[in-house]
Amino acid sequence: MAEILKVSNLEKYYGNKDSLTKALDQVSFSVAEGEFAGIMGSSGSGKTTLLNCISTLDSVTSGSIMIRGQEITGLKSRQLAKFRGSALGFMFQDYNLLDTLTGFENIILPLTIHGIPAAVATAKVEAVADRLEIRDVLAHYPYEMSGGQKQRVAAARAIITDPALILADEPTGALDSKSARRLMESLDRLNRNLGATILMVTHDAFTASYCQRILFIKDGKLFNELIRGEDTRKEFFSKIIDVVTLLGGDAANVL
Amino acid sequence: MYFKLSLRNVRKSLSDYTLYFLTLTFGVCMFYVFNSLEAQEVMLSISLSMLEIMHTITKLMNGISIFVSLILGFLIIYANNFLIRRRKREFGLYMTLGMSKHNISRILLCETLIIGVLSLAAGLLMGLFLSQGLSVITARLFEIDMSGYRFIFSLQAFWKTILYFGLIFLIAVSAGTLSISRHSLIELINASKHNETPAVKKPAMTLTLFLLSVLCIGIAYAMVLKYGIATFDRKIVIEGILGSIGTFLFFASLSGAMLGLVQKKPSFYYKGLNLFIMRQINSRINTTYLSMSFICLMLFVTIGIFSTGMGMTGVLNRGYSGVIPFDVSLEVPGADDPWALLAQSGVDLQDYADDFHRFHFYRYDLQALTQGTILKEVADLLPEENAQDIVDRLFPQALDVVALSDYNALMQLRDKQPLALGGSEVALMSQFLWVDADFQSIIEEYVGTDGRLSLGGTPYRVQTEILSEGIVNDSDHLMTLIVPDAVIADCTAVTGALCFNCRGNSAAMQDALTVQLDALIGEGRLPFKEGCVTRNMVQAVMGGSKAIIAFFAIYVGIVFLITSAAVLALQQLSEAADNRQRYEILKKIGADDALIHRTLFKQIAIYFLLPLSLACVHALVGLKVANDVVREVGSLNALQNTLATALLILLVYGAYFLATYYGSKQIMLKNGQRHE
Ligand SMILES: Nc1ncnc2c1ncn2[C@@H]1O[C@H](COP(=O)(O)OP(=O)(O)OP(=O)(O)O)[C@@H](O)[C@H]1O
Ligand SMILES: [Mg+2]
Repeated sequence: MAEILKVSNLEKYYGNKDSLTKALDQVSFSVAEGEFAGIMGSSGSGKTTLLNCISTLDSVTSGSIMIRGQEITGLKSRQLAKFRGSALGFMFQDYNLLDTLTGFENIILPLTIHGIPAAVATAKVEAVADRLEIRDVLAHYPYEMSGGQKQRVAAARAIITDPALILADEPTGALDSKSARRLMESLDRLNRNLGATILMVTHDAFTASYCQRILFIKDGKLFNELIRGEDTRKEFFSKIIDVVTLLGGDAANVL
Repeated sequence: MYFKLSLRNVRKSLSDYTLYFLTLTFGVCMFYVFNSLEAQEVMLSISLSMLEIMHTITKLMNGISIFVSLILGFLIIYANNFLIRRRKREFGLYMTLGMSKHNISRILLCETLIIGVLSLAAGLLMGLFLSQGLSVITARLFEIDMSGYRFIFSLQAFWKTILYFGLIFLIAVSAGTLSISRHSLIELINASKHNETPAVKKPAMTLTLFLLSVLCIGIAYAMVLKYGIATFDRKIVIEGILGSIGTFLFFASLSGAMLGLVQKKPSFYYKGLNLFIMRQINSRINTTYLSMSFICLMLFVTIGIFSTGMGMTGVLNRGYSGVIPFDVSLEVPGADDPWALLAQSGVDLQDYADDFHRFHFYRYDLQALTQGTILKEVADLLPEENAQDIVDRLFPQALDVVALSDYNALMQLRDKQPLALGGSEVALMSQFLWVDADFQSIIEEYVGTDGRLSLGGTPYRVQTEILSEGIVNDSDHLMTLIVPDAVIADCTAVTGALCFNCRGNSAAMQDALTVQLDALIGEGRLPFKEGCVTRNMVQAVMGGSKAIIAFFAIYVGIVFLITSAAVLALQQLSEAADNRQRYEILKKIGADDALIHRTLFKQIAIYFLLPLSLACVHALVGLKVANDVVREVGSLNALQNTLATALLILLVYGAYFLATYYGSKQIMLKNGQRHE
């Protein structure tokens, strides 16, 4: 399968000469088209930093990031924005929905920014809403939605532009287990039925068990890789737990 | 230690404070300047009459100052509350670190005091220099010399400014402290996380409100246009109340109604970030419509004050040589002679001047001569909107007659060319034409088209040139008729008059005469009361009216303008932090910097323009009516004044707008460095 994302020798340092944090240290991996990949690691290990670098929200210190064969580390801010809007979709732990807009308006916004005609855009939103089962909450404001609904609206917003890659930073982090399961099932369907490529950061072994492959990261370095292969989700889940324990992640992080 | 912490806080949030600080400084400056008027007198060579007027103006400005300090007080308390609200979270943090509410109040007190003392000092300093300039303006308005430059410092104004603003700051601090102590720790910490719930209003309800507001404003407009604003009565109060209610309803429902309408047009609503902007405005107007309405009304008053003020001073500014041809003129009713009457009371006018002319105004006996006799010939040219008024009030006024020889003697006294008049010719004289372009063109039309006047059956030709050189000071006749001496045989004297120019230091002479006559009036020994008009008096009255109008316009207008703009700017700047998160989200979903800046610009522009636009519409209607009123004093060059006003507002308001835009942008750009 074609490579959507290829990260090579990525480094990201924070701070100055006196106090240097190597948030990412020589990270290399790639994600194939249609893959559902996860990134796990303990707190402070550099997961968010990695995602921010890939999502072009943060600049890298050295190394290269290619998305669909295009090098993105050298892009100008204007090209970056365009690239972000057309090739990437985002989901965040705290949803990042605009509180002043209804669900519908939140989802349609990426399309209007890219100048898609209103009629086309509206039809698209409705189709996505059906798929994620959020038709009922389209007219609601974020404060009138449950956490799970908010995250599914955010998911709808992330996929509305048919991005090459969906980046999700702890999407279940603020959800209870039932909502988390529902969201993961939705993402799973998106991945299977529509072939969406997803790269997801998570603390949570249960959430991670929906992935086909997990990259473990420790102190800014890639540490291990787990591939689900033909395993059931249950089997994969226990393998994940094993690695997490090995990593020394505290039990509270594991369901 | 509190002082240090406060000082650091003020320095840290300097960008938030800058506009507020500048506004405050300017307010203090205006306050000092207009309270130091009394001290300015020393700089002007001023007559007694002017001194009197200046005292009146000073009293008036003192009264206005109280009103102005209320407005500025409102701004300070509002801004203070606003800044506290923005920082509740920070205070909450201090409290979790073990600081007591008492101590936080102390920090707050320190901060307010630092800002207060700084702006007070800067404002006073600026006022000190600006007040020097005010003397120059005053001198120009009164058309008098400055007796010499002297640096003016008004101790009284200085203390008054400190007292007033000190009090206001104290009140602001207590209000702020109160709002801190009312809140629990948890509320304070969660303050900035709390999302304002948009006031969910049913669309139908919003639309109804909106229509109601348009109805209110419409009725107010109709009433204003129909009844005018010339007389202050119940109608004006009703118009004002209707207009205000309409304005409040308008802003309460505007964005909701607009949103409803725009949403019906998806091709616009779902284009670029339009929907985001609309929602932004809508989410805030729900909570800020009150201040919006106040700002709109204040701007309306500002526009009104500025353009009428400018119009009035413009009218009064055309010089008064025609109105006051002589240093002194005396008039007594009937066939009496003022000279003789004064001599009986022991006043020898030879003490004051060398050359005099005594004459009479006459009433023509053979037929009734009124202003209408002339004007009815050109009645169809009268301005339509107040033709009836003119016919009712002006037409019945008598048209007095003056003999040609008297007129020429007066001209000689003024070193002017004598008038040549044929035996069957008369001439029209008007000292007032310059104030009203309408009348001027009407009467010119009359004399130009071969005007004829029949006196006792004999036809007379009216000279084609209107005489504009006056013959007595401050005449109250629109027109006077100059006739050949032979006609006087058929006349009865109605007013005895006497004109002269003083010898030596004219202003001092006039003052001396006024004092002497006033003394006689006090003893009841003068047979006529208000028949003496000196150049000093007219100058003082005209200069005084100009000064009052100009000072009022500058003082109140500017204070209103900067207060409104400052409130808008404060709201926007303090919202910028909230908006930053929203704009960050927009960035993440693919909006580039240029688009985001454009959106920010539009959003702030709409916010600034909304109250201004309605204020302009209000003002258009108001000014149309005001023009009709001023027309009686003189015709306003409405367009020019409106343009000048617009330019001034554009400058000040625009400066605040740009400062707000760049300030907000700055806050947005502080990427990821949120220091909590
Ligand atoms: N803006 C920054 N400036 C300096 N150091 C930073 C910055 N952002 C992150 N770091 C450091 O980089 C390292 C990695 O941070 P990162 O946010 O990527 O961790 P994470 O894996 O997402 O942790 P968590 O699971 O707690 O979210 C940490 O040591 C952090 O202190
Ligand atoms: Mg993280």
